Amino acid sequence: MPPPPPDALRLGRQTFGVDDLIVMAIVNRTPDSFFAGARTFGLTEALERADQVIEEGAAIVDIGGVKAAPGEAVDEAEEARRVIEVITGIRQRHPGVVISIDTYRASVADLACEAGADLVNDAWGGWEPEVATAAARHGAGLVCTHAGGLPPRTRPHRVEYADVTVDVRQTVTSLAERAVAAGVRSDGILIDPGHDFAKNTRHSLAVTRRLPELVDTGWPVLVALSRKDFIGETLDLPTDERLEGTLAATAVCAWLGARVFRAHDVPATLRVLRMVSAIRGTGAIASAKRGLA
Amino acid sequence: MSVLAIGFIPAAPLLIPALAGNDTERDAALRACVRDAVAAVVGVTETVPDVTLVVIGTTDEVSTYTGTWDFTRVGLAVRGSGQGTLPTPLGIGAWFLDACGYAGPREFVGVGERTPPSACAALGQSLAQGRDIGVLVVGDGSARRDEKAPGWLDPRAEGFDESAAAALASGDPGTVLALDADLARDLLAVGRAPWQVAAGAAQGQDWRAQVDFAAAPYGVGYLAAHWTPSSGPIAN
Repeated sequence: MPPPPPDALRLGRQTFGVDDLIVMAIVNRTPDSFFAGARTFGLTEALERADQVIEEGAAIVDIGGVKAAPGEAVDEAEEARRVIEVITGIRQRHPGVVISIDTYRASVADLACEAGADLVNDAWGGWEPEVATAAARHGAGLVCTHAGGLPPRTRPHRVEYADVTVDVRQTVTSLAERAVAAGVRSDGILIDPGHDFAKNTRHSLAVTRRLPELVDTGWPVLVALSRKDFIGETLDLPTDERLEGTLAATAVCAWLGARVFRAHDVPATLRVLRMVSAIRGTGAIASAKRGLA
Repeated sequence: MSVLAIGFIPAAPLLIPALAGNDTERDAALRACVRDAVAAVVGVTETVPDVTLVVIGTTDEVSTYTGTWDFTRVGLAVRGSGQGTLPTPLGIGAWFLDACGYAGPREFVGVGERTPPSACAALGQSLAQGRDIGVLVVGDGSARRDEKAPGWLDPRAEGFDESAAAALASGDPGTVLALDADLARDLLAVGRAPWQVAAGAAQGQDWRAQVDFAAAPYGVGYLAAHWTPSSGPIAN
């Protein structure tokens, strides 16, 4: 058995404690991401978006150059062109912020880490095992995601699990252990149940409900919920009306032990997380006077 | 044998920074005045030997207490060291003595909200008998100062609090003892009884009085003041 994962999460210059609830803000350099409000394709736009979310309180920025769903092909060179200049620009402007590269390609992960990324968000679940090697080579962290073994940029079609949560737990745990074996720092590894990835809406709701089974592995849990289809289908709402559903899922996941929250809407997400922290007794009250005057 | 100094501070739990939340700047001016009042009392123990500090606050009835501060009942499970738990107003006094670094002898005296002025005066006189004491009084003015106040607005509240502030500014124990106990009860001014106990202890001496804070930022009249003997050096 490998040693248990450490409590502290170290990413770049930052160390996060077990009680910290962390926002990872989405910064897309894509013309076609599913949420139109998050399409910042131009370099200036993407950098301004990064400036804004850092100002709003995001501790991590997650840079993506390829939309997750099927669509226009983006080859390695084009993906690298999109993300590297964004990462370089953010690193110059924000030396302390944690930069995450959202990619399934080892070559892009390698270049991104060289340009200053601290974390590789491998949302397609280790499709290219060399992604872990690239993270290890640079001392970067790694997000180990359950994507059901689907090839990148594919949608689930009649996907079935005997027990989706058990499948997720087994998959992400073995990905995390594979990452450690590849030399990734154990205090830089996160696991992500991969909402919507290779899952129908009921599957995503089930892994949300049973999140403690992932938290119990000891690996810090990242959830990427923001405006996803499992919320849209549950509420029958388009992407631009999924904020409340996202925040409800965020609150539940935080309560159940998730530590990192990949989000489009940073101020709202932070308010939810501060409130959850205060309710569970790990976060401060901003200003108490009711009944105390 | 006499009273060497008297400090007057509010009984508001929000004076304790840990209870007030992250916004530590919010009541910085009020807290500074409170610290000055406490320091004026603690200061005399540094120059005169064998002084006991007596903390006076409003409790259910006239009684002495032992123990330490404990804010569990107001929602935050923190407490000082040692056995026993003081009622919250006396605990606030104890917390400020600790915060001031005072480690000498201390006593805690509770007085009921209904204890009449004459009984308060007699209790105060008995405290100072045959020894030197410093007094820290924990209590405030009306909790009915405005429509957002805990007890809503009573139009008499501001006038009562002005009289109370004037009494504490006068340095005259008789003026303090003249505050109307029934009106104070109507106005939820829990400081009346402990102020009058202190006034009883202070009788027969001349005082230099200083009021540093008199306002109701949250609908409760807060007073921070200190009295030092007018013949002696000016504390603070």
